[in-house]
Amino acid sequence: MTSNPEILSSAGSRRSRWRPDGAHVITAIAAAVLVLLAFLAIFAEWVAPYDPLRQSLMEALQGPSAAHWLGTDDLGRDVLSRLIHGCRIAVIAAAEATSIAVLLGVPIGLFIGYRGGVWDWIVMRIVEAVVSIPGIMVAIAIIAILGAGLHRAMIALGILFSTSFLRLARGVVLAEREEVYVRSARVIGASDRRILLRHIFPNIAPPLIVQVTLTVGAVLLAEAGLSFIGLGVQPPQASWGTMLNTAAAFMDFNWFLSVPPGIAIILTVLSVNLLGDVLRDSIGRGIAIETRPETPAARFAAAPAAAQPVALPRRADEILRVENLQVMVPAPGGEVPVITDLTFGIARGETLGLVGESGSGKTLTGLAILGLLGAGVRATHGAILLNGRDLRTASRAEMEEVRGNEVAMVFQDPTTSLNPAFTVGSQIAEVLRVKQGLTRAQAWTRAVELIDRVGIPRPEERARAYPHELSGGMAQRVAIARALSCNPSLLIADEPTTALDVTVQQEILDLFRDLQSEFGMAILFVTHDLAVAADICDRICVMYAGEMVEMAGVDALFADPRHPYTSGLLHAMPHASDRMPPLPTIRGNVPRPGDWPTGCRFSDRCDFRIAACDARIPLLGRERLVRCIRAGELELEAAS
Amino acid sequence: MLKLIVQRLLALVPLLFIVSVLTFSFTSLLPSDPVDLIIGDAGTEEQYAMVRERLGLNEPVHLRYLQWLGRAVQGDLGSSFFNSVSVMGAVMQRLPVTLSLTAMSALIAILIGVAAGVAAALRPRSWIDRFATLGATFGQAVPNFWFGLILVAIFAVNLRWFPATGFTPLTESPWEWLRSVILPSIALGTSSSAAIARQVRSAMVGVLQQDYIRAARAQGLPFRRVIFRHALTNAMVPVVAVLSFQITVLLGGALIVEQVFAINGLGTLAIAAVRQQDIPMLQGLVLVMVGLVVTVQLATDILYGLINPKARPS
Repeated sequence: MTSNPEILSSAGSRRSRWRPDGAHVITAIAAAVLVLLAFLAIFAEWVAPYDPLRQSLMEALQGPSAAHWLGTDDLGRDVLSRLIHGCRIAVIAAAEATSIAVLLGVPIGLFIGYRGGVWDWIVMRIVEAVVSIPGIMVAIAIIAILGAGLHRAMIALGILFSTSFLRLARGVVLAEREEVYVRSARVIGASDRRILLRHIFPNIAPPLIVQVTLTVGAVLLAEAGLSFIGLGVQPPQASWGTMLNTAAAFMDFNWFLSVPPGIAIILTVLSVNLLGDVLRDSIGRGIAIETRPETPAARFAAAPAAAQPVALPRRADEILRVENLQVMVPAPGGEVPVITDLTFGIARGETLGLVGESGSGKTLTGLAILGLLGAGVRATHGAILLNGRDLRTASRAEMEEVRGNEVAMVFQDPTTSLNPAFTVGSQIAEVLRVKQGLTRAQAWTRAVELIDRVGIPRPEERARAYPHELSGGMAQRVAIARALSCNPSLLIADEPTTALDVTVQQEILDLFRDLQSEFGMAILFVTHDLAVAADICDRICVMYAGEMVEMAGVDALFADPRHPYTSGLLHAMPHASDRMPPLPTIRGNVPRPGDWPTGCRFSDRCDFRIAACDARIPLLGRERLVRCIRAGELELEAAS
Repeated sequence: MLKLIVQRLLALVPLLFIVSVLTFSFTSLLPSDPVDLIIGDAGTEEQYAMVRERLGLNEPVHLRYLQWLGRAVQGDLGSSFFNSVSVMGAVMQRLPVTLSLTAMSALIAILIGVAAGVAAALRPRSWIDRFATLGATFGQAVPNFWFGLILVAIFAVNLRWFPATGFTPLTESPWEWLRSVILPSIALGTSSSAAIARQVRSAMVGVLQQDYIRAARAQGLPFRRVIFRHALTNAMVPVVAVLSFQITVLLGGALIVEQVFAINGLGTLAIAAVRQQDIPMLQGLVLVMVGLVVTVQLATDILYGLINPKARPS
């Protein structure tokens, strides 16, 4: 299996944006570039080797040389000197346009946000209209009114970019206006102006800073563009945009002319944007602190895997047999087991309950059977025999063939396990077409039949519904219909009733029973709810911290639990009849993978712990299995 | 679906009204008197009054607006102050040029953006993921016209694979048309492709964690089918929402990139109009641009409704 399936589950665990190693170095370089830019802008006359306007036609269009490090342009002017003087233009341009944008946008945004009403409506419609025109066209139109030139072009850009500040300020005001402290200020009679300035304005600062950095970068690019098309800085004044304009005209003679100003623009904008990113992150960090789960190092990794293979008798008519399964998850410093030494079988028409608290590994068991474990999670030992074939070693293509046809799964939340983009009927029909080669029409007819079969009234109409148009119970019926569409011999149901209303739960359980007697499939029923398990299962396998602690027929288990954990679970079951005394719980939590005790994994929470519990405990028995060395001697309470 | 389209069209009415008012009021905002522009310095009082009368400048402003709007709706945007050609004619003549660039660069941006975004989402931290992230960072910093110049230097001046300048209409020779628009479109579309890739990646990463993806795989649907049909359809929902913005950016960018390749499109027309204070031409250009943007928005809204059933009014 290649790396593909793992992506599906945990691509998002690394959602945090990728940053190059040594992000600090890059930040430092960006800051250095901007400091250099400021230095050159201030001291251009002293730093530049030549007068940027000094022409020397004899030396026109030369390449880089000792006298002219970056060569000369069409009029023999020194490119390096023009580049350095261009820094000043860039700084002036960025400062001018950004200040205008802020000074224009923020007050208007504050005002209309605070006042609301007709002013807000009119201004926002105008903003929408301006935003719906390409920015450069707006700038061109404003320049038509004001005339070309650096300062006029920057006023144009300032007006253009003021719309984003206006929207930002308005958004903050709308959010803050109804905050308690603003309302209480109003109650004690503070003036509108005071409320705006003292209470609301400070909240604008963080997003404002971020928006300023974004705007500075955009202004630099826009100024270069406008100067390039001759509407910004006017020749002979040296700006990076006008230098590129010259370069474009002499592309055939000296293409190198286009390189220095381009690099200057890119470096500057890149530095501004990178610093803006850092700023945004550090402002954002106040809100969301990144928590890294401190998974302990693989302490357990040394423990022997599958130390005591259980000789579980093979039963007749077995559809699925899991043998000595071990599953490992990645952890800092290696891998940690999450399931160890798991062995069980399910016969045709049988329902096996997989019961335990969250973290016991029951859901992973289901996913391991399907071969859909997730990124880096591996089934490292054992066998998963489905109809006699080992799925653990099956190829990706073989697994795709097996899934749906031989084994299918019903998930916990039907509203999220159906694709919101397609009608429910088409999602069933798709499986039939892909897996069974039915034609479109055949598949649709069969899909409607299946929807009818799972007890949904008016199936033809419902087949055309989207998942969000169905109730939870209805959607789960559809999900079950899809799972059974190819008549699999094993159905894995992962908490299929947990997300549903109590009244609907019973209907769905009845449906499972019905369908099982009709289709004869084996069901692996994963649940944390013993009442549900008691209702539907033939046998129950209790899991704790990645291993089986007890397995028995459902009646035997409820009447005579042999493992202290099973007993604890039975006592934690709520009963409708007795509200009092308060529900007993098992103290403590399931230890996390990697934190498991070396002996009995339940020992830390067990009332019956003795010294011998610190050694590895085998799973003992034949028809009934228990992993507790005191199983024979303890008098555990049965379910009340 | 029809309901959605009608809803969107109705929502456009206030926008178009404001745009038309803004565009119309252009005339009075300009520093120069349009009559002076037309008759020049040597005009007499009589000529002045005559032209004023002809332009309808003596009538009240709201009446003038309505007359102007009435003509504009019928496609009559007046004629240029500068050389009295019909504005609509001039704009329509250049429109295919700019549209070629915008459409081609949008195509490039979407194809590359979606492909790179999906690839990056499937393998977080792989080289393609790093490349896409880096590309997006650079894409925001590299001026598209400079990128165009570099492309010209490499592929036109040095390698001579493509023409450095000029535009061949599609109707004349599809092959030459492609050769003439490919460099400008790459220059224009690359940074948008990086922006789109970033959007697709983050949307895709979110979608891939959804239960319905795991459920589709549990059902034994082939991996490719799950990625491209089940995941991508959903991941495109937020992407389509920003697509119209990207296309607007491309349309604006085309005005500048045209200059690099000496292509006679709307950009050249706009620059000349600014220099000549040609009011009707500028008005016409703004209106046509708004028309284009609105059309693109409508198209993306419909696409949005198609792939996102929840957005459809019931």
